Amino acid sequence: MKKAAIAIVMLVLAGAGVGWGLSAPTRISGSEAAALKEGDAARGELVFWAGGCASCHAAKGASGDDLLKLGGGLRLETPFGVFVAPNISPSTADGIGSWSLVDFANAMTHGTSPDGENLYPAFPYTSYARMSGADLGDLFAFLKSLPAVDGKAPPHELGFPFNIRRGLGLWKRLYLDPAPVIAAPAAGVEVDRTLWERGRYLVEGPGHCGECHTPRDLAGGLVLAQWLGGAPAPTGEGKIPNITPVENGFGSWSAADIAYYLESGFTPEYDSVGGEMVHVQENMARLPASDREAIAAYLKALPPVPTASD
Amino acid sequence: MHIFRKAAVLGLIAGLGLSGAAALAADDPIATRQAIMSSVGAAAGLGGGMMKGEIAYSPAAGKAAIATAHAAALSFGDFFPAGSDQGDTGAAAPIWEDADGFAAELAKFQAATASAAQASGRSGPADIDAFKAAFGPVLGTCKSCHETYRKKN
Repeated sequence: MKKAAIAIVMLVLAGAGVGWGLSAPTRISGSEAAALKEGDAARGELVFWAGGCASCHAAKGASGDDLLKLGGGLRLETPFGVFVAPNISPSTADGIGSWSLVDFANAMTHGTSPDGENLYPAFPYTSYARMSGADLGDLFAFLKSLPAVDGKAPPHELGFPFNIRRGLGLWKRLYLDPAPVIAAPAAGVEVDRTLWERGRYLVEGPGHCGECHTPRDLAGGLVLAQWLGGAPAPTGEGKIPNITPVENGFGSWSAADIAYYLESGFTPEYDSVGGEMVHVQENMARLPASDREAIAAYLKALPPVPTASD
Repeated sequence: MHIFRKAAVLGLIAGLGLSGAAALAADDPIATRQAIMSSVGAAAGLGGGMMKGEIAYSPAAGKAAIATAHAAALSFGDFFPAGSDQGDTGAAAPIWEDADGFAAELAKFQAATASAAQASGRSGPADIDAFKAAFGPVLGTCKSCHETYRKKN
């Protein structure tokens, strides 16, 4: 009897130990860190727009130069609680001014903060994990060139168990995977392979399109089998549309229609962009036309996902 | 006498028809505002098509696009009574929760269409560049309102 009790206690402790180990924050490898180089701020500006950093980290409603003041504070009201975007300006006290490039890469690709805490995936490191080291170096150089904004953003407002950061380590083991989602263009779609690969990089990596356009499971992980097939809006009312080439849906958009929408904000029927997509579209409009064509080429060559009925 | 009676009957029918239409607009503000907004979409399709060069430009068509958008801008805001957030509508809750913000967006839309209408004049903008200068700012107001006041779709 006593022996059994001891065995159970030991099993629980072992389980807790394994859980503790599995939930530990991960970091980039030594060789990845060694390969990182501080980049070029001018190139980094394009990465900045492609990544949509300002859409969450600038003040709500910011436009023009105010988009470059990344003091945070935007509230994302989600089913898991309210996430408040932090200050990522170069302020040493309140932003990321004291971060090294390796710290930055750990946050962007592993969701791990410089002091070894797990970051919440409202910060879309699940997508940014697919970014190249060169882009990370360029982006970091650009961020460092922006104005420092003083003041910390308020903390997240999350209930149990979502307020336990350590637990996110387990979540990351399940859902953080830097491998491409789509291995190759759909069979039968003729597409320039280089253009398609650029589109895949932009959509799956910095553009983080899947974070809103792909449905999530109960634990908040993306359901990759329904990649870009549309989902309930993660904040606010309504739905995020299916952007796979389905019949009677997005499939009726030509690649030129998609590129034009990203440039102008108008659908083929001349309906206008709305919701959070307004920021995304305005960011995409700042990229070279070839990047918008690449995104269009990738979307046209996706496997169609039936739109979930509600 | 006979003729008078006929006229009276016709007048009555016409009157009924009109009051029927008025009642319909009042009873179904959702359908009314959707019809108005679809006229804006049609105007944007015509104007945008000409700006893209897919439709040949003519001053009369340019004037039609501008006049349609202007009439819509002046009337659209009257069809969001309290309670019309329920039903098959893309109108988002902030229209009623932040009525001042919505009014400010409507005012931007009206200001853009008013200057376009003025530039358009009697016979419409003379060429595509004049049309772009007048109509471009109108198109620019769509998304700043749709960002907050329309449900995602």
